[in-house]
Amino acid sequence: MSTDHTVQGERVAMPVRIREAAVASAMFAVRAPAARALIAYSGLDVFEPVRGRAICSLAFVRYVDGDLGPYHEFAVAFLARPPGGEVGAFIHWLPVNQEFTLEAGRSIWGFPKELADIPMHLASRVKRCAVRFGGRTAIELAVRPGAPVPSGSRSPRVTAYSHLDGVTRRVPWEVAPARVRMRPGGATLRLGDHPVADDLRGLGLDGARALSTSTVGHLRMTFEAAEEVRP
Amino acid sequence: MRPTALVTGAARGIGARAAQRLAADAWDVVAVGTDEPGLARTALRSPNTHTRVCDATDPKAVAAVLAVTGPVHRLVCAPTAPSTELEHVLRTTVLAASSCIDAALPGMLDRGRGEIIVLTEPPSRSPAHAAATAALTAYLRALAADHPAPGVRFRHATAPPDVPPRDVLDAVDRSLARRPRTLTLHPTRRPRILSR
Repeated sequence: MSTDHTVQGERVAMPVRIREAAVASAMFAVRAPAARALIAYSGLDVFEPVRGRAICSLAFVRYVDGDLGPYHEFAVAFLARPPGGEVGAFIHWLPVNQEFTLEAGRSIWGFPKELADIPMHLASRVKRCAVRFGGRTAIELAVRPGAPVPSGSRSPRVTAYSHLDGVTRRVPWEVAPARVRMRPGGATLRLGDHPVADDLRGLGLDGARALSTSTVGHLRMTFEAAEEVRP
Repeated sequence: MRPTALVTGAARGIGARAAQRLAADAWDVVAVGTDEPGLARTALRSPNTHTRVCDATDPKAVAAVLAVTGPVHRLVCAPTAPSTELEHVLRTTVLAASSCIDAALPGMLDRGRGEIIVLTEPPSRSPAHAAATAALTAYLRALAADHPAPGVRFRHATAPPDVPPRDVLDAVDRSLARRPRTLTLHPTRRPRILSR
């Protein structure tokens, strides 16, 4: 798909390429019925690797060099799939701290981006991030260092799902991670005063132990055009 | 209010990466250099990055940029010199850093806070770069001694060609979490602090 888009008067060519980013993330097992109810608005169903448990992933990303400019992002995602479709990462919430990517993300792919303050520390051993609105903290996440793991030479193709204004979309997404570290556990999550923090509290994430955490020191990504997912 | 960073040598290489990381972190970034298309690439789709075409070795030109920029909370001087000729290297590293520091430091001293970061190519690149590195290390230490404001800190990091810019900038970021007012960093493939 090669459809281009215009964002804030600038033409954004597809696919969108991210040439340098860094990520820290934590994966949690949560109660599947609660997660299913939370994302029911999308028409997708949570993936249950173990009966009764769904996977919720929290990640923070620093985009340094890419087609959407430099920015910080925090993601709340669930492993999910449409009926009969493939498993992918459904993006439930995606605050960012810059306006160009806010508009691009919403208009090109239907990602649920909103503007927030997102201070981030990715140079230290423990990676830290907070999401704040008007000085009030919604979420704080810290990821402790793991052991190096081989990142391989392939660029895995994965699928992201989004939902905005009543439309669910599928976004083909290619990732090329390098300098990857992983460990079991390793996350400290603090939930503050925000509806999404309340969502996560409802899933039992307050004080929960992560299944695993990972950091990616250097990440390249490609986002292709979105396709509507019809029921 | 967003803090302001002034980054020289921001049209390419580690200077461009430093500017983009600060922009991602929501600083107001003033990207300075002589390569206008390169500066435009650095500022692409970054509404909080502003470009100024300016020769950083010219104190009047730097002062003119600061006159419209307002207070600078962090100054980053990045290398621009492809040459290894002594006069050229000294002018584009030591004298350029000096003219930017002269312009930015008084405001930092008035506010009692600020960060001055000078990035250079490694001393192993050429005898001229060895001289520039030694001169900058001595210059920054002397400045820190002359101006005993605990909130104004100085960092000098060398950027070897085999170390990705992100590792050098990570080393600088980590060093800013430490107490000393002056640090010289020589990041290697596994960044570490060699001298203080």
